[in-house]
Amino acid sequence: MLKVENLRAGYGAINVLWDVSLNFPLGELTAIIGPNGAGKSTLLKAVMGLVPTTQGSVSLDGYPLTDRATWDMASLGLALIPEGRMVFRDMTVEENLTMGAFPKPHRAALGRNLERVFGLFPKLRERRRQLAGSLSGGEAQMLAMGRGLMSEPRVLLIDEPSLGLAPVIVREIFDILRGLKQQGVTIVLVEQNTRMALGLADGVYLMRAGRVILAERAAAVDIDRLHDLYFAREGAAGDVADAVFK
Amino acid sequence: MFELILQALYSGLLVGGVYALIALGLALTFGTMRVINLAHGELVLLAAYMAYVVESRLQLNPVFAVPLAVLVACTCSALVYLLVDRIRKNRELNSLMLTFAIGIIITNAVLLIFSGDVRSTGSPFMQDAVQLGPLFSMKSELGAFVVSLVLVLALWQWLSRSWYGRAVRAVSSNRDAAKLMGINPAKTELISFIVAGALAACAGVALYSSSVVHPPLGHALTVKAFIITVLAGVGSVPGVLAAALLLGVTEAMTVTLWSSALQELVGMTLFLVVLLVLPNGLFGSAKRRG
Repeated sequence: MLKVENLRAGYGAINVLWDVSLNFPLGELTAIIGPNGAGKSTLLKAVMGLVPTTQGSVSLDGYPLTDRATWDMASLGLALIPEGRMVFRDMTVEENLTMGAFPKPHRAALGRNLERVFGLFPKLRERRRQLAGSLSGGEAQMLAMGRGLMSEPRVLLIDEPSLGLAPVIVREIFDILRGLKQQGVTIVLVEQNTRMALGLADGVYLMRAGRVILAERAAAVDIDRLHDLYFAREGAAGDVADAVFK
Repeated sequence: MFELILQALYSGLLVGGVYALIALGLALTFGTMRVINLAHGELVLLAAYMAYVVESRLQLNPVFAVPLAVLVACTCSALVYLLVDRIRKNRELNSLMLTFAIGIIITNAVLLIFSGDVRSTGSPFMQDAVQLGPLFSMKSELGAFVVSLVLVLALWQWLSRSWYGRAVRAVSSNRDAAKLMGINPAKTELISFIVAGALAACAGVALYSSSVVHPPLGHALTVKAFIITVLAGVGSVPGVLAAALLLGVTEAMTVTLWSSALQELVGMTLFLVVLLVLPNGLFGSAKRRG
């Protein structure tokens, strides 16, 4: 279980997450949905140590992660696939992927994983010698994803993989996520495309304004109620702040 | 007249190779740490005086000073890193003051120990003339150029093939993403400063062997390295090499066709013109930021 407990985090004087607690069972795909500014991306970054936390803890199978440096996470089996803008623009596609295998234990399998990623994203093989800065938005997103898979993570955090992409590519990316889930990878998916996320997820969290306002099994989600909460419509119960899967 | 221009072109290219070594070190540390090391030229100066020490005290060819020069310049470079790393507030500005001060301290220490006299190699072997077709140079000038080119190529290979070389580029390109890949940026920054120190050491020995050195040289070299990095506009090795050769040739042409008093002025003018006309440098394309 990847466990987030009472986490408070933010950027300097601006606090974003207000004591959020979430559980991510191993082997499952958990979706985090919510409007812009809900703190979804900040949560993923805080788990990886990219955003400083002021309170609370993160642990993986009881092993504390809160005080570990971001660069230790890859060796511990965690990977964050950030938005496509975070590729190494001045490096080629292949060099970007190679950096995904930087931690020493992963270097031996570099060739095999490169082939695997090129198999998943044939477009990247075509563009392997091209600078990442010259890729289209969709290609950069695929590159960010491929790079994250190069370390064969046990736990994969993904930030809005469908953002700004054509529906065909979004479907492709969701197919790949389904495949990873079948291989037993634990996935935390931050996504604005609620319907697609629900189709794939085992559990769902809804966040708004830095708090968790709903936690439910995906199969049990009432879409209308979810949307009411999502858009903070009048009359919707929005104070289940401590909702957590047990 | 034509021979004269050709000769100036040749001499400029030779010294440009050494400039490239110095500028690449500056670009490397700027890339990883986003800090301009204003004491970088002084590292070259220190190395040059190590060559002077080895030649004058041990009666050895200055080339044998390379290990000592590398040791001294790398140690100083690492110290600069450790001091800059301690700056927590407003690092861009405060690091300029810190490294500028370190440069002044080094220059004055050199002045105190070695006096302000102009030094250069006394080795007849190094000062021998070599002829390449109609072009003349000292053996040491040609040697310095060849060694510089080899080192530039080696650096290029290191940056594109080795794990830590690529890590240096990754940190320069996107620091947060590099952390996610398992790269420790602090370690990478230290490595970039040590590599920059080693390049500066070789440049210092090369300058002592092929030219003259005196205490104010360090500051002048920092300025040249800075001009070259801005001219290149990108952190790419070929871009910096080309800009360094261009500066070397421009300076040599000025000396030949005009006056040696204007040598520094022309470099600065080139710098200002490029900044005004091509703000992204000669080889930098307009980059989207954000």
